[in-house]
Amino acid sequence: MTQTTRILTVDDSPSMRALLNHALSTQGFEVAQAEDGLAALDWLALNEVDVVITDINMPRLDGFGLIERLREGTRHRDRPILVLTTESSDEKKARAREAGATGWIVKPFDAAKLVAAVRRVAH
Amino acid sequence: MTSEEIQAIFFAECEESLAAAESGLAACKAGTQDSDTVNAVFRAVHSIKGGAGAFGYVALQAFTHTFETLLSDVREGAVPITEPLVDLLLRALDTLSDHVGAARGLAEVPDDVGLLAELTAAQAANAGAAPSPAPAAPAAPEPVATAPATTSADEDTGGDPFDLDAMLDDITGAMDAPKPALDAAPAPAWLLKVRPHAGAMRNGGEPLLLLRELAALGARCIECDCGAVPPLDTLDPGTGYLGWAFALDADVSEASARDIFEFVGDDCGLAIGSDAPMPAVRPAPPPTPVAAPAAPAPAAAQPGAAPTPAAAAPAPPAPPALGQSIRIELGKLDKLIDAVGELVIAQAMMAQRLAGDGLAVKEELTILEGLTRDIQESAMSIRAQPIGSVFSRVPRILRELTTSTGKHVRLEVSGESTELDKTVIERLGEPLTHLIRNAVDHGIESAEARIASGKPAEGTLTLSAEHRSGRILIRIGDDGAGINRERVFAKAVEKGLIAPDAQLSKEEIDHLIFAPGFSTAATITNVSGRGVGMDVVRQNVKELGGRITIDSEPGSGTTFTLTLPLTLAISDGMVVNVGDQTLVVPLANVVESLRPTQTEVQGLGAHRAMINVRGKFIPVLPLHAAVGAQGAIEQAHEGVLIVVETEGAGRAALLVDAICDQRQVVIKSLDTHYRSVEGVSGATILGDGMVALIVDVDSLVARSLSGQSPSPLLAEAA
Repeated sequence: MTQTTRILTVDDSPSMRALLNHALSTQGFEVAQAEDGLAALDWLALNEVDVVITDINMPRLDGFGLIERLREGTRHRDRPILVLTTESSDEKKARAREAGATGWIVKPFDAAKLVAAVRRVAH
Repeated sequence: MTSEEIQAIFFAECEESLAAAESGLAACKAGTQDSDTVNAVFRAVHSIKGGAGAFGYVALQAFTHTFETLLSDVREGAVPITEPLVDLLLRALDTLSDHVGAARGLAEVPDDVGLLAELTAAQAANAGAAPSPAPAAPAAPEPVATAPATTSADEDTGGDPFDLDAMLDDITGAMDAPKPALDAAPAPAWLLKVRPHAGAMRNGGEPLLLLRELAALGARCIECDCGAVPPLDTLDPGTGYLGWAFALDADVSEASARDIFEFVGDDCGLAIGSDAPMPAVRPAPPPTPVAAPAAPAPAAAQPGAAPTPAAAAPAPPAPPALGQSIRIELGKLDKLIDAVGELVIAQAMMAQRLAGDGLAVKEELTILEGLTRDIQESAMSIRAQPIGSVFSRVPRILRELTTSTGKHVRLEVSGESTELDKTVIERLGEPLTHLIRNAVDHGIESAEARIASGKPAEGTLTLSAEHRSGRILIRIGDDGAGINRERVFAKAVEKGLIAPDAQLSKEEIDHLIFAPGFSTAATITNVSGRGVGMDVVRQNVKELGGRITIDSEPGSGTTFTLTLPLTLAISDGMVVNVGDQTLVVPLANVVESLRPTQTEVQGLGAHRAMINVRGKFIPVLPLHAAVGAQGAIEQAHEGVLIVVETEGAGRAALLVDAICDQRQVVIKSLDTHYRSVEGVSGATILGDGMVALIVDVDSLVARSLSGQSPSPLLAEAA
């Protein structure tokens, strides 16, 4: 816990990326960003990360697909992955967890909740 | 980054999303209703909703929510895609666009009550049969299942030693927690009993973090239930054997404690109250969830095995059609383009200087020239965007026109992927809108008239874009009545634009509609407006360095062709000498150049000469007379004729002394450095550092033919 927590955010929306980046980097997290699942995989191939935060609906490779790919290998099997979801229904949450997500952040999020969610899962 | 900046990103994104949704729905309407198309529309609306929520645009968010709900059902196939549905979605998109405008403060919040009801009704009509399942009951502690127990701390993944130590500390601390602590503390208001199950460590979950967070709420561990820990040889590291009871103060709400366990859901047993039993141990299910994703491994190990279904299961990624992109502030890009322009000039100047010293053949010079051109092309391509972003706005314009004119028009689009400069794209919207409105309002006849003349009731508007020798050709064609030349002529006479006895070619009559203040509609409609129209279109196109031509056939329609440069900054030009001046003739206007013999040029009256070019007579215009150059060649057969095409006056042959070069020139605006001069479209710096004027062929020829030469202004500027 002495090191800065490194976070990769994956979202195809530039404004959402900007919001995430702003909310997280001002809290002292190290933030990297990718615009979809494939870009995230490319980035993760070369970089280490502590927490992944991903949107679900994205072109090319969506959030669930990304999680699936990450959980396949051993390197990211225990990586905390949070999904950004606009729905807070139990059904959607169960689906996120079923897909392999560690937790979720309901959009629109406020910065405090986002940071709390990250701290809750950051090893 | 300030929140204003983030909002600006959001609005830019909204525009992109709206365009994407628009083209997706247009594709749906045209019959492409695959899941990719529908998904793209859904994602666009979804993305706007996400941002709207984040920035607190309540009305926008509410509208997108309803819109998205319907789209979600369409995407899942619960709502069938029918024509009325697509029309409804298109109308919803228009309103969404208005909502975005309202959020930006550019417009009033639209009245969407009726539309919302329609959207909800469309969704309910189809989805009503399958009510959404009731939310699952909150996780209740599982019924008893006895199993031996041990510590759940040793993860098989080998966490780092610090963490392991911390875990051991926590666990031993918890186990050793002396009961007297309870006595020392104020009486606990309530007890929380926690037992993480096997699944709590799935998906990167870490129960220890949850216990720590609980401790941060002020929870004191008063009991650790390790009675379920089995002998070491039967211990399953994936099962949760330990349970803890925590005492919490009265001011800690139950909700805030439950919040901590939100993510793990029913993978962690919770019980509240001193009477509630400790949640029981639940053994890990035989095929552990962690093992499941590993299934493909053995299959893959079989040598030569065909791809197994398991291995193929992870959805094959969509073809990476979309390139990666990066957002750059436009100002930075323009600076780069400017610098590249200067580089091109500097390179040309150096080449010319070295050529003067007899060093032109140096290999390095050739390499530099190639590199300069590469850099220039790359820089230009950065600014290039597909014209589709402009074309995608057309369906909305047509829908509005259908409402206001009652004319139904089918749209045919081709060449959407043709790329041109961003500035050109941005400034193209206005003339294009004008031309489309004009085509529907004046070109395409009413349904009755169309049927009477044997045409389908629905009109067709064709929109195309293509690259043609360094220029972009954009055509807007309709299959309407064509230009009524008698009426145009009569109107022009009436307006005093031409003499009643003027002899005009068909093209010249057609081009009269571009005359300022000209309006052909017998009754001015509210669509095409009042007089402000076609002359503005021509002006717009001209400012873009382009030309507009008309091709109209009575009874079968009119096509407007816009010829535009790929970029505004650089143009191909022919460098010519005229007496003591050097001028640049835009290559876009040049048809051919020729050296006439004495007999080919024939006089027409005292001041006019014509040349016979393959059977067609075209006027010869001495460029020196137009620009007031001294010492130029006067006789056509001694110089060179450059045959140019103009939009208003057909072809003409410009007489020059010699053609020096054909090169790319960086256009410098005269307006910004001097002032606007008729007959000159700009200036450029030549390789030798000299400034050369770029000839505005259209206005120059028009002026010369109407006997207004030489242009005093041009002479002055030169």
